[in-house]
Amino acid sequence: MELAFYLSGLAAVLATLGVIANPNPVHGVLYLVVSLLAVALVFFTLGAPFAGALEIIVYAGAIMVLFVFVVMMLNLGQAAAEQERLWLQPRTWIGPSLLAAVLLLTLISLLWRDDIQRVIEGGELTAKGAGTLLYGPWLLLVELGALLLLAALVTASHVGRTVPVAAPKPAARDMPTGDADQPQPPQQPARGESSSPAGKEVL
Amino acid sequence: MQMPTLAFAYLPLILVAATAITVMLGIAWRRDHRVTVAVTVLGLALALVAQVAAWQVIPLTTPLLAFDGLAMLGGVLILASTLACAVLAHAYFETFQGAREEFYLLLLCAAAGGLALAASRHLASLFLGLELLSMPLYGMLAYAFHERRSLESGIKYLILSAAASAFLLFGMALLYAQTGELELSALMVSLTDGGAGAWGLAGAGMMLVGLGFKLSVVPFHLWTPDVYEGGPGPAATFLATASKVAVFAVLLRLVLTAPAFQGEWLNTVLWVLALASMLVGNLLALTQSNLKRLLGYSSVAHFGYMLLVLVVADGLAAEAGGVYLITYVLATLAAFGVVILVSSATDGEDAGGLHYYRGLFWRRPFLTAVMTVAMLSLAGIPATVGFIGKFYLIALGVEAERWWLVAGIIAGSAIGLYYYLRVIVTLFLAEPGMHRRDASPDWAVRAGGLVVLGAAVLVIALGLYPAPMIALANAAGGIIAP
Repeated sequence: MELAFYLSGLAAVLATLGVIANPNPVHGVLYLVVSLLAVALVFFTLGAPFAGALEIIVYAGAIMVLFVFVVMMLNLGQAAAEQERLWLQPRTWIGPSLLAAVLLLTLISLLWRDDIQRVIEGGELTAKGAGTLLYGPWLLLVELGALLLLAALVTASHVGRTVPVAAPKPAARDMPTGDADQPQPPQQPARGESSSPAGKEVL
Repeated sequence: MQMPTLAFAYLPLILVAATAITVMLGIAWRRDHRVTVAVTVLGLALALVAQVAAWQVIPLTTPLLAFDGLAMLGGVLILASTLACAVLAHAYFETFQGAREEFYLLLLCAAAGGLALAASRHLASLFLGLELLSMPLYGMLAYAFHERRSLESGIKYLILSAAASAFLLFGMALLYAQTGELELSALMVSLTDGGAGAWGLAGAGMMLVGLGFKLSVVPFHLWTPDVYEGGPGPAATFLATASKVAVFAVLLRLVLTAPAFQGEWLNTVLWVLALASMLVGNLLALTQSNLKRLLGYSSVAHFGYMLLVLVVADGLAAEAGGVYLITYVLATLAAFGVVILVSSATDGEDAGGLHYYRGLFWRRPFLTAVMTVAMLSLAGIPATVGFIGKFYLIALGVEAERWWLVAGIIAGSAIGLYYYLRVIVTLFLAEPGMHRRDASPDWAVRAGGLVVLGAAVLVIALGLYPAPMIALANAAGGIIAP
């Protein structure tokens, strides 16, 4: 069991490195799927089949499908077909496949030794246990999570707005107020009293 | 504990969340800036009253939250500064072209997160509270997203804050692996029994990194000036006041209850961080010509001073921390308030540059007085509230014989004097003959102006007669639930 944990953990780390290091989004997404599956297997080995199943259903299932769809849609174009043929070269899929094979072997070897209860150390976290905890003493966290999702949704919908907001008036725009230590904007015509040496010294 | 009492303690959080829902439904039904602000302010004021009234029922603990003096004081400060931010945002966004109402929704969500964070005694509520505090801030900072700097500051905060959250989570995981506990008090027991161990220390250190980022302690301060400068004024104000108060309250509880933080090694780390923050924050502020960046670096320095409380962490510490938080929040609200009143969301980026404030005295004498008072208080001049705070910290440091930190506070204050006074001198210089940015003529009779004036009056009044503030902090420091 311990070996399974470390193997799937290693697969997760390698796959995640693949996500970050890959310049091509589709390749990255492939690695991401493997990474999520590996994390699910980590959950299984730790005795949390419920969390593992959720990881597969929600992340590797629903969210990854959305990812792949979006990436595919963004890549539509004349060269799309050509691209797709390129993507099917072995060097694209060999990495994720190898990692996935490691996961599969781990899973099979685990299933080979029957009586899964005995190999899991510690208690098993069931859906019922998670539910009674979340909707019992931890109810507050569910509510806070709901508020968090609301805030995230509002943020995304506000910042993602495409309705043109009236552009700021160029007249009101001033000189960039960065690190430049300038006592007066460059547009300002030089005036006797405005550029007094005392003022320059202090500013 | 009886249910009604517990409901009483939860009431501020419930009121803030209910106001957020009301604002959301109001936006869905009909957009109206004034009504939204009115509902927000009403809800926050009710929550503030409930928070003050909840002093009667403390201390109370639930598995997730501890309603103790620290949580109460933090809650009062968070709600008061959120209230000030909401009122100032009304002035700021009045002429904003585009949706203005969502800002208040995000503000309320963040305030709810702050309340939960300040009261958390469990790693789960700590993490969710922190995320609920930070998530709306991404939206608030990037609110004027047609403005390049606002968007930039939002994205900067998003990425760096996510990295800090990863550190925090990893630290929690290590602590959990070491002890098998998520509750802070149970963590304390396990770590005391078995010794902190390498993993426990590593976990505590990583949590310190995550929380230190939110407090913008050196060397995790790099985001502060950019985010303060780019974000809309009210969002930056919330970030500088309510957000930091909540994180500091939870860090104080963590340090006071978890012995891993009082071990030799982490204690050394804490005081090195404190000294670095005091010196680096103040030295970097010296060269700033932008008021918002200057306030950002000044907040780095002030939280360096406040880390002294965490280093000492006994006796007077909680009281001194409470007093300093109050002084910092009041002065920062006044200073940022003036910046907000001079800026407006329609005029492009905020009036951060010091040159905008040149000769402000000759146009807006009272606004100048507010800014002067705020700067003097941040510098720690006697007769302002900032002096009382500094006095407390130095007394605490001397009593615990932390001479390096006391020296750091004194050196930092001396450096700080230069740049705070430079701002004041700028205000009184002769007018350069350009009126590019200015507060509206009737600023003093509007809500935002009243908030700013009120903060300045409090800075002076509590500076001359600090007894109520000290009593409040004393009461808060006296009741810390495990």
